[in-house]
Amino acid sequence: MEKIKKFFLPRPIILSSGKIVQPKLSPMVYILPILGIAIYYSAQLTRFKFSTLINRGSQFFVIVGRMIPPNPAYFERAWMPLLITILMSVFGTIIGSAFSLPAAYVSSENMVKNKYAKLAFRAIFSILRTIPLLILAIIFRNIFGLGAFAGTMAVGVFTFTIMTKMFYELIDTADMGPFEAIESSGASRVQAFWSGIMPQLWGQYIALILYNFEMNIRNAAILGYVGAGGIGILLNERLAWRAYADVGIILIALMVTVYLIESLSRHIRKRLL
Amino acid sequence: MIQFENVVKTYPNGVQALKGVSLTIEQGEFIAIIGLSGAGKSTLLRSINQMHSITDGTLMVNGVNVSSLKGKALRRFRRDIGMVFQSFNLVKRTTVIKNVLAARVADMPLWKSLLGLYAKEDKLIALEALDQVGILEKAYTRADQLSGGQQQRVALARTVAQQPKIILADEPVASLDPVTSQQVMSDFVKINQDLNITVVANMHHVDIALKYARRVIGIKEGLIVYDGPSTEVTNDILKAVYGRELSDDELMGA
Ligand SMILES: Nc1ncnc2c1ncn2[C@@H]1O[C@H](COP(=O)(O)OP(=O)(O)OP(=O)(O)O)[C@@H](O)[C@H]1O
Ligand SMILES: [Mg+2]
Repeated sequence: MEKIKKFFLPRPIILSSGKIVQPKLSPMVYILPILGIAIYYSAQLTRFKFSTLINRGSQFFVIVGRMIPPNPAYFERAWMPLLITILMSVFGTIIGSAFSLPAAYVSSENMVKNKYAKLAFRAIFSILRTIPLLILAIIFRNIFGLGAFAGTMAVGVFTFTIMTKMFYELIDTADMGPFEAIESSGASRVQAFWSGIMPQLWGQYIALILYNFEMNIRNAAILGYVGAGGIGILLNERLAWRAYADVGIILIALMVTVYLIESLSRHIRKRLL
Repeated sequence: MIQFENVVKTYPNGVQALKGVSLTIEQGEFIAIIGLSGAGKSTLLRSINQMHSITDGTLMVNGVNVSSLKGKALRRFRRDIGMVFQSFNLVKRTTVIKNVLAARVADMPLWKSLLGLYAKEDKLIALEALDQVGILEKAYTRADQLSGGQQQRVALARTVAQQPKIILADEPVASLDPVTSQQVMSDFVKINQDLNITVVANMHHVDIALKYARRVIGIKEGLIVYDGPSTEVTNDILKAVYGRELSDDELMGA
């Protein structure tokens, strides 16, 4: 073992003064072989083959080719589901964000004095957070039936879990000075939080909401696949029919929408921070 | 009236910050507490409004035994005691007036404070408090655009807007330059005299303490070693409080 180590050890550097500096063994010596093994087994398990990628990968461009030219006439049928997708994200984001505020409060180190209560809340929200959006959509579809309501609820719960974590981390980095001052004046902790902590965080909170909204627009587009409303229904149907020209116009409309919303949101976020 | 009787404070980690403190403070007094870092000054101050609870002895404030207070009664009690901090503790991202109005939320029902529905009267109180410390014209400026001295004045105005009977100040001028310190201390004196509010201030600079306070309390390792008029503080007394002679540059400020 010592011999192997010595083999990898970089050569000593001799200074002009005659002093010798021995550089440390790079951690890469361990990391590279482990990474190599991990990649090999991942490729095995996922049956990743370069030959497949090369042989069949060109099919991707064939499909894209068939989308061109897109069928603009189909937009007449697509705009309504697209609008529903946007509205699902809007309402889902608003609902999820609103509920995340009290949830973040009870999960934050700075606000909750009882360590066990805080940990319990965090545990519940962490478990919720592990549920993927599509699974949430399927659950709510089974509860509320097919349609956009299920999708809105799925986006709402998904946003809630993410926003809660992001926001309690923000609360824990806030300046507690104003909170202490207001609490010492006889206000309750909730009042001191609202008047002493939130004014520090409104900008960041709204920026987080917008950031989640951007993600949700893209996420909501696939919810129709499981029957939870929006443009995904059409996308699924047209792909199944191999009506690629229709798919083309849906994708273009979707891309333009996502682009517009992201630009607007980024513009607002920049001004907030 | 604030009455300490053999007050002991032991922190959960075992540190005994107050080791049996007895003292009486009358309404309207201006008191400076001096002592080395770690002597227990902040602990003494924060026990008065129960930001720290005492572990033994009795502490009465205006006839109320403060250790018995909890929840709503404690919050009601705290409304009569204002607090000023070394680091100002303002919300820097909002306006001066909003910071001062924060002193009014304790008197409001929760839903009103959540919606920010301050009464016209509250706004008047806040503006008058700002006038009292001479920065009325900064009411709609963001707090982070003010100098340190101005920020401490806003903090003082916030406390005045609370309409307290007692103001506790924990090293209120320790992060200000000597000239600004003097101005802020003058504001404290003015408020003390005009409104007959008791002021108890922990002081870092001895000569500022002696200049503005009428009574000085020296504490060392959790015990009171001097309690008397500021005019009677001698070098020997300072030596007893600080454990050694103070050099001239430690007496800076006056
Ligand atoms: N929250 C705390 N938990 C444990 N020990 C504490 C706590 N606060 C203060 N102490 C200890 O109690 C003693 C007195 O502290 P205190 O803050 O009252 O001193 P101080 O006179 O205000 O000092 P300074 O001039 O540095 O502010 C110190 O030994 C300090 O370490
Ligand atoms: Mg202190």
